[in-house]
Amino acid sequence: MVLEYSPMETQSIIALNTLEHGRCRPWPFLQDFCLTCGICAGACPASGVDGFDPRKLVRMISLGMEDETVSERWPWICTMCGKCANLCPMEIDIPGLVRKIRSRRRREEVPGILHKGLEAALETGNNLRLPKDDYVFILEEIAAEPGFEGFTVPIDKTGARILTTIHNKLVNTHTEDLKHWWKIFHAAGEDWTVPSENWEGTNWGYFTGDDAAIRKFWKNSVL
Amino acid sequence: MAQNRVLVVGSGIAGLTAALDLAEAGVFVDVIDQYAFPGGQGIRLSCKATDTCVKCGACGVDDRLGKALKHPNIRLMTGSGIQDVRKSNGFNVRIRQAPGFVDPNRCDNCGICLSACPTERGILQGTSGHHRPFYAVNESACLYVKDKSCTACREACPTGAIDLDAAEKTESIHADAMIVAAGFSIHSPLEKPYGYGVFPNVMTSPEVETVLKRRGRLVRPSDQSEPDRVAFIQCVGSRDAKLNHLWCSGYCCGFALRTAHLLKHHRPQVHTTVFYIDIQTFGRTFETDYKEMQESIRLVRSIPGDIYPSENESLKISYLKPDTGETLQENFDLVVLSVGMIPPAGLEALSKTLELRLTPEGFLGDGNGTKPAGVFPAGAVTGPMTLAEAAAGGARAAWQTLQYLKSP
Repeated sequence: MVLEYSPMETQSIIALNTLEHGRCRPWPFLQDFCLTCGICAGACPASGVDGFDPRKLVRMISLGMEDETVSERWPWICTMCGKCANLCPMEIDIPGLVRKIRSRRRREEVPGILHKGLEAALETGNNLRLPKDDYVFILEEIAAEPGFEGFTVPIDKTGARILTTIHNKLVNTHTEDLKHWWKIFHAAGEDWTVPSENWEGTNWGYFTGDDAAIRKFWKNSVL
Repeated sequence: MAQNRVLVVGSGIAGLTAALDLAEAGVFVDVIDQYAFPGGQGIRLSCKATDTCVKCGACGVDDRLGKALKHPNIRLMTGSGIQDVRKSNGFNVRIRQAPGFVDPNRCDNCGICLSACPTERGILQGTSGHHRPFYAVNESACLYVKDKSCTACREACPTGAIDLDAAEKTESIHADAMIVAAGFSIHSPLEKPYGYGVFPNVMTSPEVETVLKRRGRLVRPSDQSEPDRVAFIQCVGSRDAKLNHLWCSGYCCGFALRTAHLLKHHRPQVHTTVFYIDIQTFGRTFETDYKEMQESIRLVRSIPGDIYPSENESLKISYLKPDTGETLQENFDLVVLSVGMIPPAGLEALSKTLELRLTPEGFLGDGNGTKPAGVFPAGAVTGPMTLAEAAAGGARAAWQTLQYLKSP
């Protein structure tokens, strides 16, 4: 019988001295309790993509193969949907584990689209680098459409009860979807606002596993 | 010297074994069981023999039940539970027995009551030739018991064996010692990702046992056809930290391998697949049996993560193929969940009545200091185990009880 190993497995077979069981033990994801039952991989919508296998990823961390997982593509294939953690009989927090591995990668080696998106979001307040004037113009144009008589978008209203943020597609390709909750707020007489800067609701720091960026992102939005 | 009298709680393999051993030693034994039929969970197990016996032990339950029913030193009461216990030179136990709605002398086991009953589980059906009458009115589901709104079974019964106005009985007995063989409950897999209770052809291991015992063949619930592709999923509700069921239930690997082997023997064209974490079976012949079974049963070391309905009520299972790392979807006609054993329902209340301590897992402890003098736990009430282990536990409890009766 010929066993076929992925490049990563071959590497790990050769470099046995990289195994250090205690290395990731303080990580709080219960990875050492894995029974290797494989229910995670059986449920995972991304498992099998480029050989991605959450069961193996958990075992690699349990064996202390931190560097190998950090340099591997696998953590970036995961969609972070959480189905695995929902089913895992040993309560292993696999999405938490994946995010931790992502956070260990050198920032300039984070996959381009995510890295650039985060950079843009931190610099300009949104990953599209949509200028403030264009953004405000889009919002006001939608509010001027039929059905919105007597309504203005409460942009930058100080002291409002509710602060809303926006997913970038809502001012890009899916502007229709803004209207529904605006109508609800309006009909309910809600005291709400939407910022003119740092309005993006998707925290790109989550995608790249960058905790500092996550904090900065929320500070930008809230303060 | 007056004859010693012992109360055995539970008429499964452990309770019956203990009762027979004590009865043979001259002790009078009252065996009570809360269920309508005696024999415990083991009585519905089917014989798994192919050309040869595969030592599943199922016949042992029928055998012991038959002997116990005939033994002059044993009195067996079904539908019965302990109401309270007072200690006085032994135990004064008050027992409540559910009404015996079906007269065993009149019932000819025709089953017309079952077809007549409009309520699910209103009439219960036995699983052994020793179950006489073979049918029982289920007190907790019967509409007549609830509000006197239905008498369908009484009207349908051709021999007039059903008395829906039968009264419950309470009696007090004195016991010098007690054996608690209250057995176990089965984990309900409703929350697991296998569509149990949603897709008709997803069955649990006890359900498969019952069908095999009643009909001799395994058929699909949806259309009563014999399945060509059968999947067994192991460890459903066992080895599970989320459920606080960290234990291996012990019986399930033997169940799945023997049943898969039997299905192959019934119909050689059947494909059986067992999805497992590791195979936990023991004993002298295990290695040879295991090797032989591997030739006819496909063993996949991976637990499936999802299930989807497919054509003709079959089921598509999603699982990781361990040798290639691919996630596959494969069709099966029938999916069997090997469900885990858990502490029996009502054990907490029983343990309070009897002043017994539970283990952190919720079973009865059998170690020192966990029980008052004269009370002996036996069988799966002390933790998951196989039929053979439960029988051995019953024999051990009988021996301990005899020692205790000699010098309390």
